[in-house]
This record gives sequence, structure tokens and C-alpha cells, in this order.
Amino acid sequence: MYMASFMHSSVALFPHLSPSSSTSSSLPPVSSMAGVRAPTHSFSVAAVGRPASQAVEIDATAPATSTAEAAAEFDFKGYMLGKAAAVNRALDLAVPLAYPERIHEAMRYSLLVGGKRVRPVLCIAACELVGGDEDQAMPSACAVEMIHTMSLIHDDLPCMDNDDFRRGQPACHRAYGEPVAVLAGDALLALAFSHLADPANYPPARPIPPYLLVRAVGELARCIGSEGLVAGQVVDLDSTGVTESIGLDLLEFIHIHKTAILLEASVVIGAIIGGGLDREVERLRQYARCIGLLFQVVDDILDLTKSSSELGKTAGKDLASDKTTYPKLLGLEKSRELAGDLLRDAKLHLQGFDSRKAAPLLHLANYIAYRQK
Amino acid sequence: MACFTLVPSTLSGACALLSSPSSFRSPLPAMAALRRPFLTYPSAAAIAKAVEKKSTPSAAAATEVAVEFDFKGYMLGKAESVNRALDRAVPLTHPKLIHEAMRHCLLAGGKRVRPVLCIAACEIVGGDEALAMPPACAVEMIHTMSLVHDDLPFMDNDGLRRGKPACHVVYGEPVTVLAGDALLAHSFGHIADTANYPSAVSPALLVRAIAELSRCIGSEGLVAGQVVDMESTGIEETVALDRLEYIHLHKTASLLEGAVVIGAIVGGGSDGEIDRLRRYAQCIGLLFQVVDDILDVTKSSEELGKTAGKDLVSDKTTYPKLIGLEKSRKLAEELLRDAKSQLEGFDPAKTAPLIHLANYIAYRQK
Repeated sequence: MYMASFMHSSVALFPHLSPSSSTSSSLPPVSSMAGVRAPTHSFSVAAVGRPASQAVEIDATAPATSTAEAAAEFDFKGYMLGKAAAVNRALDLAVPLAYPERIHEAMRYSLLVGGKRVRPVLCIAACELVGGDEDQAMPSACAVEMIHTMSLIHDDLPCMDNDDFRRGQPACHRAYGEPVAVLAGDALLALAFSHLADPANYPPARPIPPYLLVRAVGELARCIGSEGLVAGQVVDLDSTGVTESIGLDLLEFIHIHKTAILLEASVVIGAIIGGGLDREVERLRQYARCIGLLFQVVDDILDLTKSSSELGKTAGKDLASDKTTYPKLLGLEKSRELAGDLLRDAKLHLQGFDSRKAAPLLHLANYIAYRQK
Repeated sequence: MACFTLVPSTLSGACALLSSPSSFRSPLPAMAALRRPFLTYPSAAAIAKAVEKKSTPSAAAATEVAVEFDFKGYMLGKAESVNRALDRAVPLTHPKLIHEAMRHCLLAGGKRVRPVLCIAACEIVGGDEALAMPPACAVEMIHTMSLVHDDLPFMDNDGLRRGKPACHVVYGEPVTVLAGDALLAHSFGHIADTANYPSAVSPALLVRAIAELSRCIGSEGLVAGQVVDMESTGIEETVALDRLEYIHLHKTASLLEGAVVIGAIVGGGSDGEIDRLRRYAQCIGLLFQVVDDILDVTKSSEELGKTAGKDLVSDKTTYPKLIGLEKSRKLAEELLRDAKSQLEGFDPAKTAPLIHLANYIAYRQK
């Protein structure tokens, strides 16, 4: 059922998966596609946490078929667009054009230009999954998008990655100069915390207990700091330009910290704010780590796949000249298997939650796995 | 009284260049919040009269207690405690490079004025040093990160900081940008980590402190001051007085205000106590800059043998340039007096550090 809609894209990613082998009654059997049990990549799976298969709380009242049915009826695209629109409205309100206008202009320039708002939507979906609502999640949803944006602003600076364009428009430092861009990033980082911590931003009828806000602040700080996002960026800097390929565990460290950890924070903070139990929060954390790493693995696969098609070269020759990627280290087939494993693991972590409420996160995992760009 | 030696009889003020406040496009929120008549300058006689009225017994008693207080010992002792706490707060974990850079910047020295203000404010409302230490460390992390980013070549381009090579000189620009970001993130995480406190602290107070601190350093706080300062640099005409004040209130006073207020919040201060301590901090923040400007002019006059008037024309916009040296000194006195008056009503035995700090800022010679 819901697999059918992804069929055309899934074949490209998982060429062994034929239409007839997919069933509508369960999660896509990606691990069986090659007929080969996925090798134990202990570092990668260990990093994201061994699921679920050891201790899955199967919701006996919700048979597997209803999961797929509920998911099939779920309008994922509409959901994403609707939530993104709500987030955009909230972001617009969160950064008014106050004095001094220039800094607020620069902040708004980078923040409001667009983007799918994946992190805020993850935050809202996680909050709703554990019983919270969109209004309760919105301040933290905005906060994670502010953090994401400020990391891009600083990353684009000439002394960093030196990118002139971002989201289809000139990068912040090109439009406003480097000094204002640095300060806009700093201001967005400060605003993320003030927005998250200000009780006035939450619905008065359903306030969040202060101890949960404190937890959320701690989680956000940990995920973006010197042992989180910044750690990934620093190790990436250290590893760039090195001629021999970096090891798989180093590659994983970079991806987990540069990409996955903010996705993790988004999901976890949403779950905390929504009043999730500790074990619920932890399972959602594991889900997020899976999709975070999955995102990078798929990125690497797509890069390679496109390159092969465009250049007419074999995958092997490309691999020699590319930066370190999963296909380069594991080969294309094993990378696809890894992606399949991660997708399956992500979904396993969602078992036990209400299937209707889990639909957005389920679909998001599929989207990340099967996208073509 | 000792505090009026700032008014010399020998130097005459330069012409007062009172610019109109209409050079701004929008009103100054900080000015409104402060509710001070900064744009009107009372005569010396009026000031002297106001000072006499303020000589109440409690103020006199406070002064006596303050005289016996070992301010220098206090500052050194508290700074040492803060240094130990900062050392623990940023251990050399993986990746080593970023933590090395953060520690290089954070532990390079400095008087730790902001953390000590935080601790003193906490103590004055009934808290203690251990309770204040996490927010005290947080404000120092923020102060440090703002310097670290400010020193970058494409910002103020300073190669030296606190007598040592600046962070970007040792670690390069990319790591420096990231170290600043990491320190900012870490400051909030440090306040929010309940394990950093000696005993259970109310989450509601931590939330308030986090909200306050982030507001003080953001786009309507510290960053606002930096942006307006950047916009005002290099322009031909004199910066208006209210703009100068805006810059100082935001670039300098804002973080001092944040330090004092979050110390008072965490210490369990009442709203009234917090308001008065906030005003105290705003006064000493502005006082710091006014005295800075006065010292610049004073030194310049002595070194160059010129009158104050000629120097002023070539300097960047300063208080003496806008209102004259004498009025600047009177403004400084007024700020000092106002700062101290905010401390009346607190336990005199506990106000000594803040009184002495205000005096130190006013009377320093460099």
C-alpha cells in the first residue's frame, strides 16, 4: 500500500527489491532483498543504539496491518506543508524587525528564506506523539530551526566553507557582510534559548512545567556544543584535505555530530516538552539517530549514483576521487544494505507508539530513505 | 565627601555639542526602560544639593562598613574561585582541539568582574557563592565568546587579548568561530545543569535566569550594541548622545546587567530587589564608559600638552566631546551616586562588594 507510492524511487535505491516482493502487510522487507543478512557494522549500529529487536514493546492491540493502513491514509505531503507553514508563521513572529533593524533584517533574511523545516516538524511530531500539541512544541520547534540556521550562516563564512549561496539566495555574509553575519548567527543562537525558555511563548492554558524547560535547554545546549554539532564540524575540519580516506568510525562521528545530532535534539526536545516518559524519549532518540545517519548514507549513495549516470563511469572509478563516503568505504551494495538496516531500525523504535500518531515520523523516515535528491 | 574629587577646578569644559536625538529612526527602548534624564544636565549646584540630601544615616553607616572591607582581597578570592570553576566547567574532552581553544580563551586571565558581580548580587539577596557559581561561569563564558568573535580579523582584528595571542592567531579562524559558538551554547547548558548546583534549585528560577541572560546578549542586548557601534564607526558627523548611550548600554552595560540580575534571581531575590540591582548594573555599566572617555581625554591632554578642546575634535565620539569634560565628570558622579542609592535598603554588611566595585569603576586611573 504505502510502499507502492515509493516504488519507483525505491527501486533505484534498492535494485533488488522487486514490486512483487513488497507486501502491504508489514514494514518493507528491505533486509531480505539481497538474500544476504546485513553484515554487522557494529560501530554504526552501536552508535545509533541497537534497537528494538531485543526489547520491542509490541502494541498487541494494534496489529501490523493497521499500521500500514493508517499510514497509507496519511497525507504526508499535506502534513509537511501544513506544519512548515505554521512554523514559518511562528518564526516570523519570533524575529520581528525591531531596532537595530540591520541585525534583525539579517536574521530574518537567513531564517525566513525557506527550507522544508524538517527539524521543527520532527520536533512537533515527536511532541504530538507523546501526547503534547503543536502549540506546546512551537517554541522549541522554532528554536531548533534558529540553531540550524545559525550553523549554516557561520558555516558559509569565507573563513569556513566559503559558500556564496544558500537556499537559492546569496549567503548572509554576501548580503550583509561578514561582521553582521557572525553577529546574526550569535544572536540567533541566543534567541533560540530565550525563545525556548520564555514561558510567555507557551499556551497559557497548557503551560510547560519549568523542570521540563530546563531539561530541554540542557538537551539543546549539549547537542549543539563542543561535544555535539561543533564537535562534528571541528573533526570534519581536521579531516579535510587529508589524502588517505578516513576510517569508517571517523566518518560516522562526523555525520552523527554534524547532522544527526540536531535531528536528535529536535525529536528529543519535542518529546520532553510533550511530557514523554523517559523510555519514550529514549526510543525517539534512537529513532532520530537512525534517520540522521540514514540521511547521510543516502546522501552519499545519491551522489555516487548520479555521478555514475552522468559521467558514464563505473562506480569504482568515481570512488577513488571522491571524498570519503560510505560507498567508498563499504561499497555501494553494502551502503544500500546499511541504509535499509537504518530505516528498518528507525521504524522498529516507533513500534509501541500509537500508529496514527507515529505516521508522520514513519513517513519521514521513508522520505529520507527514498528521496532522489 | 570623597566621592566628589572627580570635579576638578582647573580644567574648563569644551563646548557642549548637544546633538538632537532625532538622528535615530526609532525610539530607544533602553532609554525608556532606564527612565533617566540623561539628556538634561543639572548644574553643579543642583548636584551638590542633591548629594547633601542623600547623606542619610543609613548611607553614612554603609560607607563606614565599606571602608573596613578588603575589596582587593575579596576580588582576588572570588576570581580564584571562579577560575577553578571555569577550569572544571570546560574539561579537555574529545575533540581536544575545540576544548583546547575554548580553554585558551576562557582561562587566559582577566579580573572576572562579571562573575564576581553575579556572586555578589546573589549573596546580597541571601544566596551564596556556590549557588551563584554556575551562572557566574556562564556570564564569563559569554563575555569570553563575545571577545573571541570580536577579535577576528574581519571584526575588530585584534591579535592580542589579555596579553596573549588571540584565539584565531593560535587556532585559526574556523576553530575560533566554532569555539565562540560552543562557549555560547555551553553557557546555557551550564546554567541548566542542575548537577552544577550545591543543592536543589528551583527550575522556575533557572528558566528565568536563562531567559534573562539570553535576552541581555542577543539582538536587543549585547549584539545590538555591537551592530549600532559598527554602523556608527567611520561616519563623518558626531554620533548623537542618545546613540552613544545606546551603544554603551548595550555593548557594555547589558552583560553586567545580565550578570547581576541572574545572580539575584538564582539567589531568590524579590522582584523589587532585582529591579534595583538591575538599575545599579546599568548605572555602573554606563559609568564605566563615561570614565573611560574621561580618562582618554585627561591622558591625552597631559601627554600632548594641548587643551582638551583641540583633542576632542579629532577623537571618536565620546562624552567629553559631546557634553564637555566638566559635565562628563558630573554625569559620572551622578551615575555613581545613583548606583549606590540602589543599594540602600539591602543589608549594609552585604553591600560592601558592590559599593566598592562602583567606586573602583569610578575612580580607577586606567
